[in-house]
Amino acid sequence: MEQVVGPKYDSQGNPREAYDQSFAREVYRKVDSGEEIKMCMQCGVCAASCPLKDKMDLSPRKIFTLIRAGQRDKVLGSQAIMLCTSCYSCKVRCPRKVPVVDVMHGLAHYALRQGYMPRKESALFGEKFWGNIYRLGRIDEKDVANRYFFGHGIGAGIKMALDNKDMGLGMLLKKRMKLLPERPIKNIKALKKMLDKAKAMGKGGAA
Amino acid sequence: MADYFLYSGCSLEASGVHYLISLEAVAKPLGINLKEIPDWNCCGASIAYVGGNELSVEVLAARNLAIAEANGGLDIVAPCSSCYIVLNKVNHKLQEKPALLAEVNEILAEGGLKYSGKIKVRHLLDVLFHDAGPEKIKSLVKKPLTGVKVGGYVGCQTVRPFGEYDSVEQPTVQDRLIQALGAEAVHFPKKIRCCGSGLFLTELESCYELARDILKDAIDHDAQIISTACPMCQMNLEAYQKKINKALGTHFNIPVVFITQLMAVAFGLGNKAAALDRLLIPAGQVLKAA
Repeated sequence: MEQVVGPKYDSQGNPREAYDQSFAREVYRKVDSGEEIKMCMQCGVCAASCPLKDKMDLSPRKIFTLIRAGQRDKVLGSQAIMLCTSCYSCKVRCPRKVPVVDVMHGLAHYALRQGYMPRKESALFGEKFWGNIYRLGRIDEKDVANRYFFGHGIGAGIKMALDNKDMGLGMLLKKRMKLLPERPIKNIKALKKMLDKAKAMGKGGAA
Repeated sequence: MADYFLYSGCSLEASGVHYLISLEAVAKPLGINLKEIPDWNCCGASIAYVGGNELSVEVLAARNLAIAEANGGLDIVAPCSSCYIVLNKVNHKLQEKPALLAEVNEILAEGGLKYSGKIKVRHLLDVLFHDAGPEKIKSLVKKPLTGVKVGGYVGCQTVRPFGEYDSVEQPTVQDRLIQALGAEAVHFPKKIRCCGSGLFLTELESCYELARDILKDAIDHDAQIISTACPMCQMNLEAYQKKINKALGTHFNIPVVFITQLMAVAFGLGNKAAALDRLLIPAGQVLKAA
């Protein structure tokens, strides 16, 4: 029998339906840092501390309660899980020491692997960013930016590059941009092997 | 001379190159000897979660830690706040969770590496303030920045979440370094608010407002120039000012520099060492007035 985690009775004294806990269990088991939300007591300090809470469809506090309430689509489809800037304001203030940033990142990684798309732009940028790490071992800023722009298609890519041309040109003129194509680190082969192994051994990925 | 490993990070190779140039210039007189970690790799910053799971990101950091340990085990100094926080966070986890350390070591073995948890990761501000110290810095000042009002923007990952060398809610380290240079450190409450970090490019509309609020707050509190200790903060607050003005109808044109650039100027090391020529918004005028 499913354990009851919500109030057992409503205000009229009628028995309530128990929350479906299968999603909460899925999060604990499969999402990186997912187990940490067990500590959340719904005080809302994370939401009050978040610089982008006004832009989020759901606050971190609501995300955590919806996980317990079994709302899989709402949580994994929420743009909030990819609007975290990793500023750690929530983490330093959380009275229960929930590493909110890590949980948000874990949920976002998991959501993307499960076919959800919380934020299209950041997902595309993140994919190109990781591509640089895997291919080179380091980030070549102009390469990531260009791949991100042109990841929208040629036409849209040209438009985005033009929108940013003043800034790009400024960086170029002030010698804040690498001119040569980036070379990979010396032991890139070993790094790739490590990352492949970590992908296979870690949580948060496979369906 | 005290020896450290410098984990310069990817930004300091390009958009934040003026941080590296000025850091290397001031390190010498400060007695800070910086050695590069051989063949270091990207820390993953705060966006690696899109492509990599938590263990992959931990491995990225652990590889750097293991190489540092194998090459003498000096403290790692990270000038970039994002590098600092990722390396530091993973380092603490590895030191506290033997099971995770074993797992990570199984993966590091693919490259013949092993980490035992002996490295200490520190932010550059920590080393400047606690190792070199304000007294030494004061003694090196040849051209005090008298009368210059500097807004010391701390941002997020410079102090949060660990607060190992400064307060997470009311940080003072950067301000005290600014004061040691003879300048006035302007207090503005938004100095610990987030600039948008790695989300800036992809979430422009949200991040414009974050940066605007920080710039406005600094100016409202009389800052003539903003100083930071993070390449992402410098980039977001400086390079996007024109775009913010266009999008939000503001008129910002305030220089944003690295604390090490201010130091190089105050130490009288010359413009090249201070890398002021790399700024998109010139700082010469404000600093010359000193």
